[in-house]
Amino acid sequence: MATAFTPYSYIQCPCSDITLTDRRSGGSPTTSEPDGDDHAFDPRAPRSSFSLYPLEYLMYCEDCHQIRCPRCVAEEIVTYYCPNCLFEVPSSNLKSEGNRCNRSCFQCPVCIGPLAITSVETKPDPNLLAAPDNSATPLAGPYALTCSYCLWTSTEVGIQFDKHNGIHAQLAKLRNGGTTRLTAKERKERRKDPSYKGQPPPTDSQDLDHEAQFANLKAFYQGQLADPNAADAGLALLGDLGFSSPTSLSRIMSIYTGGGLLHDKKAKARLGAMREALDPDEGLLVASLDESAAIAKLRSEGLDGTASAAQRLGQAPNLVEPPLHGRERFLDSLRPVPHLLRTKRSKRCPVCRHIISKPESKVQTTRFRIRLVAGSYIPSISVRQLALSGGTGTGTSASGAAVPGAPLEPLKPAYFLLTFKNPIFETIKVTLGAPVTTPGRFASRVTVICPEFEVDANTDVWDEALKDNAERDREQRRRRGESISAGGGGINSANQLEVGKIWERGRNWVSIVVEVVPASLALAPGDPPLREDEDVLEIPMSVRVEWEAEMAGDEVGAAPSRSNSEAREKRELAYWCVLGLGRIRQR
Amino acid sequence: MSSTPAASSTPLPHRSVASIRAPSVAGQSGPTTPLRSISSSFGSPSSLRADDEIIIVEFGTRKLQVGFSGDPAPRGCIWFGPDQLRRAGDFRDWQPGYRHDWRSAAAGGSWGRDYELWRYDVRSVDLGLVGDKVERALRDAFTKYMLIDSRPRRMVWVLPSSLPVPLLSAALDSVFTRFQPPTISLLSSPLALAVGAGVRSALVVDLGWNETVVTSIYEYREVATRRSIRGGRMLVEQTHNLLAKHLPQGLEGDAESQEHVLSFEECSDIAQRLVWCRPRSTAGQEEREGQEEEDAAARSATVRIPLTSWLSPTTLELPFDDLSEPCETAFFDAQYTLTSFDDDELPLHLLVYRSLLQLSLDVRATCMSRIIFTGGCSAVLGLRKRIFDEVSRLVQQRGWDPVRGKAVEQLLANPKLQRAPAAARRPSNTPAAAPRAQDVGEERDGVWHDRSATPAGPYMEPETDPIEEQLKRGGGHSDQQPPVRGELRAIESVGAWSGASLATHLKTMAVATIDREVWLLHGAAGASKPNEVDHKVQRQSLGPGGLMRGSASGGAWTLGVWGAV
Ligand SMILES: [Zn+2]
Ligand SMILES: [Zn+2]
Ligand SMILES: [Zn+2]
Ligand SMILES: [Zn+2]
Repeated sequence: MATAFTPYSYIQCPCSDITLTDRRSGGSPTTSEPDGDDHAFDPRAPRSSFSLYPLEYLMYCEDCHQIRCPRCVAEEIVTYYCPNCLFEVPSSNLKSEGNRCNRSCFQCPVCIGPLAITSVETKPDPNLLAAPDNSATPLAGPYALTCSYCLWTSTEVGIQFDKHNGIHAQLAKLRNGGTTRLTAKERKERRKDPSYKGQPPPTDSQDLDHEAQFANLKAFYQGQLADPNAADAGLALLGDLGFSSPTSLSRIMSIYTGGGLLHDKKAKARLGAMREALDPDEGLLVASLDESAAIAKLRSEGLDGTASAAQRLGQAPNLVEPPLHGRERFLDSLRPVPHLLRTKRSKRCPVCRHIISKPESKVQTTRFRIRLVAGSYIPSISVRQLALSGGTGTGTSASGAAVPGAPLEPLKPAYFLLTFKNPIFETIKVTLGAPVTTPGRFASRVTVICPEFEVDANTDVWDEALKDNAERDREQRRRRGESISAGGGGINSANQLEVGKIWERGRNWVSIVVEVVPASLALAPGDPPLREDEDVLEIPMSVRVEWEAEMAGDEVGAAPSRSNSEAREKRELAYWCVLGLGRIRQR
Repeated sequence: MSSTPAASSTPLPHRSVASIRAPSVAGQSGPTTPLRSISSSFGSPSSLRADDEIIIVEFGTRKLQVGFSGDPAPRGCIWFGPDQLRRAGDFRDWQPGYRHDWRSAAAGGSWGRDYELWRYDVRSVDLGLVGDKVERALRDAFTKYMLIDSRPRRMVWVLPSSLPVPLLSAALDSVFTRFQPPTISLLSSPLALAVGAGVRSALVVDLGWNETVVTSIYEYREVATRRSIRGGRMLVEQTHNLLAKHLPQGLEGDAESQEHVLSFEECSDIAQRLVWCRPRSTAGQEEREGQEEEDAAARSATVRIPLTSWLSPTTLELPFDDLSEPCETAFFDAQYTLTSFDDDELPLHLLVYRSLLQLSLDVRATCMSRIIFTGGCSAVLGLRKRIFDEVSRLVQQRGWDPVRGKAVEQLLANPKLQRAPAAARRPSNTPAAAPRAQDVGEERDGVWHDRSATPAGPYMEPETDPIEEQLKRGGGHSDQQPPVRGELRAIESVGAWSGASLATHLKTMAVATIDREVWLLHGAAGASKPNEVDHKVQRQSLGPGGLMRGSASGGAWTLGVWGAV
């Protein structure tokens, strides 16, 4: 049926067990958690999805010797830029101009393709549409935004532009259908304009779009706070309540948590300091409830006249209309979508503040100046199924690989080769732990044939050459599995399964075997059906890595040299990982 | 052996394998480690705070809206869905040919659950998972829409006042630990909506996802609240049932067996795009005649709905009028008498009417002229007007007499028993008034004027309104017309998020402000009951320097309305 299964491994970032809920929940000191190693991490629990990462997603702090995931790094912004025109946006613009590109970079509201500026009069020229920017200006206006993929054009929603530049600003003044409006900036200027002084332009409630209502309310509240009458009414009485600002709204807007302050005469008097908005100029908008026109439109246009969920989601907040109350569903209420800006971020360790990732600041490049990926510090684990002849247990020998990705037979032992590759320049000792049976509804049996072993350092050829002959001899003998018992990782020369023995060893890698007996997926009548991926045999495994390294702290500036082995310290790192081995065959 | 010098000196202690444990599931108490200072492991020096920006987060059951204080609208909105429950690097949703296995995900009554942040019945909720979902949604919003770094920023949360404390607590735990805001202030969404409408009092009708909640706000205080389980979830269920009824027979059991035959995603989408609400039908024949004026062809319009989540892709064709059925069943249930409903399942017009009825005369007169419709279902075309018209009719028929016999209700509920002919057709925005209601009020200029609102009723405590008194005295605004009272009127708010943005920007205060350090130490258990708190300490401005001095000095703090467990 589905494509062949590819085995995988995920790592749980150790930061995920720092949760307050666990520590405080219940609040009763008498409840105690069943302690024990059998309380294994359950990769099927919904929460595990939030803490598991592929190795490539993880970073590493060299100073704390700890894994850092996207949830436990501190981020700083290097650059803000538009992904479409690659223009770098100064950070000061973000607060005022918002989070979208205002340089004529628009996405099609129907298919998210790029929109180009075309003349309404002439047929859109495909060559112009393909042009990377609007340098190839169409000859005469009016202009429209046109999608070169689905051929949507802004004239479909009644929007066209007089000029071919400054589209972003022009669009802010246009409602769908073509009516013009005042932007917040224009409103503000008019308020200040002496020719309008004392007599602000009356607001028609038709004009009271979201942005205007918000601006009028803001001006109204600010005016109320500044009103000398209003201030008089409260000031003397309010001093004793300890509010920080004399003009604070909080003096008047008594949002209490309960309590009986309303019955306090003084408090009641204070309430009088501010009144309600009374007309559209002050932000009061009486609702128009008649939606029969919209219903008639829905009746005549049907599903085809409405936007899909994805199209509605893609829209930027619509500030130019009064509350739409469902009319945003219609295709002709869609607006061109200015591109969201993006950021380049550097990442720091939140504990020691050292930088663990820093991109080049130039927008065009994807390179990093610093990037401490976890894959350079912790062993990678790759999974491959083994086909073994003979029965279970010791004495079984290999007979080539199993069919990769084929379903696992329930209740029939299967063998998997786990290869641990050591990326660091020190020999590491790896200790594995796995629950005897997998957690969840279907308990498969798991046996790690060799749970403790050493993996040699990631020496390069140069280092290899520097070693004296005797040492090299010893190394090679060890690799071949002759007479070495260190770390319990004796080798299995004939590729035979033997408890406590590794399967194979290379320069900086070791393979071990895990035996699993997949559970049967048979369901009793009445059981809920299999959830998505519940047929995947996943085993949780704790990994502890120990190694010796030079003392930290005294090596600042010193070139790392491994010959100086006097001041060495033990280090260890422990975490859970999850191995996805295969799908169990369903009967 | 595991406690090497290096390990013990690092702030994040390395753990032995034995101490690696699974995250505890909800309800279990955590390991009894001593109170290790979490601020030292993930905290940042306070000099790195971004003090100028306050982040406003509005929580809904199906979405989060996030933006900066002072902005007219949120910068971004994150909807909850199954794709957010996947592991990092799992891109199957984007792979061609992948289809979400909604059937197995819906097993055991969890159809649609993956599209919700939480359910109010906390017994069935994994609180840790709620915290994880909030964290991931916020992180996505911060990266994609807010474009901010991870310096700690103060936050204001806008929440439904009915949110259960354990859910709030789980969200606070997660965000305080992961984002380190120095403080989180809580503001109830009905209050924010009132601020966003320019009024001090309002009747907020929140047609939400979990439920519909009617909150009466008087002088910026929540004075009463009533709820009904009729909400968006029920509407989508009814939409599913409607579509299932029209599917070809015999292929997949009967529609009544409670099994879902279509995916939540598809039904939710159709509910949002096509479901509408019929106007109130008056008792008599007049309405019918009137409707015949409409084009007969338009009336028989049908809608083609392609469905992909059924056993095999198919296209239904059903009458447009049928698409108003889910709304009728979910919100009005007109086939039952009004007395047959439990309190928590009242049809919406009755819910609104009873909410007004329970208010004292003065409060009611003010609130009824400041009705704010909000919530996802306020986008159902025609629903706001229908509720408004139904309430108008109830007011005309019954006035504000709280004593109402069952026989009378039955009489009113059954149109055939009513003797008075319905009034002639009137302009569409006018609540249809029956002439028999003359004893209660009258209709002028297309709005209903409640006569009893002017003189104080005998059974209600008359309450003087200081603002109005001041206005009457000519306090600065004598030229303005007096506030509208005693007539049913709906007004628009810029929304809860934008209202909170205004309130925060103008440095008003929130219902409750929680200091991070205090929360990390005590959690919800540390909150005093609201009425035990000295308001002088509790109430703090959101302005610079005015934050949470109370808690910092060890004073009491509260969870506001959410703390009343
Ligand atoms: Zn982490
Ligand atoms: Zn751009
Ligand atoms: Zn397009
Ligand atoms: Zn560090």
